[in-house]
Amino acid sequence: MHSMVRRVWVVAVLALLAAGVAVAGACAQPADKPIIRIGSKNFTEQLLLGEMYALILEEHGYRVERKLNLAGTLVAHQALVHGEIDLYPEYTGTGLINMLHMEPMSDAGQVYEAVRDGYLREWNLVWLDPAPMNNTQAIAVTREVAERYDMYTLSRMAEVAPELVLAAVPEFTERPDGLKGLQEVYGGFQFREVRMVDYGLKYRALLAGQADVTVAFGTDGEIIGYGFVVMEDDKGLWPPYQVAPVVRKELLDQAPEVADILNRLQPHLTGATMQQLNWEVDGNKREYTRVAREFLREIGMIH
Amino acid sequence: MAALESALTYLAANADRFWKALGIHLELAAASLAVAAAVCIPLGIWAARSPAAGNWAMNVIEALRVVPSLAVLILVFPYLGFGARTAMVALSILASPPILVNTYVAYRNIDPAVLEAAVGMGMTPGQILRWIETPLAAPVVMAGIRTAASEVVASATLAAFIGGGGLGEFIVNGLAMNNVGLLLVGGIPVALLALLAEGLLSIPEYVVRRRIR
Repeated sequence: MHSMVRRVWVVAVLALLAAGVAVAGACAQPADKPIIRIGSKNFTEQLLLGEMYALILEEHGYRVERKLNLAGTLVAHQALVHGEIDLYPEYTGTGLINMLHMEPMSDAGQVYEAVRDGYLREWNLVWLDPAPMNNTQAIAVTREVAERYDMYTLSRMAEVAPELVLAAVPEFTERPDGLKGLQEVYGGFQFREVRMVDYGLKYRALLAGQADVTVAFGTDGEIIGYGFVVMEDDKGLWPPYQVAPVVRKELLDQAPEVADILNRLQPHLTGATMQQLNWEVDGNKREYTRVAREFLREIGMIH
Repeated sequence: MAALESALTYLAANADRFWKALGIHLELAAASLAVAAAVCIPLGIWAARSPAAGNWAMNVIEALRVVPSLAVLILVFPYLGFGARTAMVALSILASPPILVNTYVAYRNIDPAVLEAAVGMGMTPGQILRWIETPLAAPVVMAGIRTAASEVVASATLAAFIGGGGLGEFIVNGLAMNNVGLLLVGGIPVALLALLAEGLLSIPEYVVRRRIR
């Protein structure tokens, strides 16, 4: 009898302990949300976007690992395909031409559908909604150079090129929609000299008078900041480059709400907004983390 | 394998650009190495003779070693602008530590008894440097130059960031545009050049070592 009572006690205590451990375990991992690893390429806009995605997901209670500043499209894409990151911001035009190796198209909706379908088929990756901004390639010169040659369109530049030095960024001399594309679509475009510089130095090369022409992107902050003149693409060489998070489908299967959460940011990212945000970092030399946080507070996506 | 094939196809179509880039690359590396050797060997000998100067020079060199070459490029760019001169500054700085440290150690560690004997035989300081110290120190100095050479050949790829050209252009372009073939057009020759520099420069080192025995 006595030992029976004792045995009941022991069982009761053990049961309580087990329950306690179970409860403690549940508390340590609230809601069972996956850790999300966010990547980005290595330039300002990408860092800003990566940081924004991270902050928004943190706001919704996800734990986030930042793997920003990956060295270019190849590295970011490989990291995503091999599951070392879960998402990173990519441009529709880059997906179309560099990753899927498809023919350039100029309609934004068509390009988006092509990359959305292609990525899902090839790599089981999902494109979320595209932002309205268009970070397309462009050609920029200083106001002085534009006025000296009365040059405001790419057609005009095609003729004047033999007098100009081009500061090309990586990729530009190689990709089909870079220098080769200009030469094919516009003819001419035989620059006096072509020198490659890193992205961060291209405008300094213009400002220092080391080059006359450089490769710009539609949302570069310096365009507003220094008043560069962007040549009109009067023959429609370049496809649209809208940005969207590209996400591993496994993550979305596990946490479908991630798509809705990030899609809410997309309509806020217009061309003018992105230029301004980029300029805050590149021109006003502010921390991208701070700029991203301020912007998200302003549009009410975080507190 | 497909990447290697596309690298060869690219090479065939752009042979002129490849040879030009290779030429620029070698020129850049050789010039930077020459500048570093011309500055660091005398500096190392001088440092070995005076403990105070030696300490000072070694500290400066250790500090330089910490600065990444890419940072040097970006810092020098506004003053020297595009191209080879800027890259040479960064690469010369990169090449300096191994040459200076090896020279310093080589001249420092010569047996004092040998030097005393030389003085005893009535040799002038110039003669001692020329006939005693330098032959004894040469193998270690050569080893420093060899280390510097392979580092410089590999790092000359950085010139591509500042309009300096060279094999780095293919690497930077390939990396930026998801083109492994293009990356290999630059990457394989750079790797081979680094090995070659290592191998070729070990020949004179071997010769001087043998001559001592």
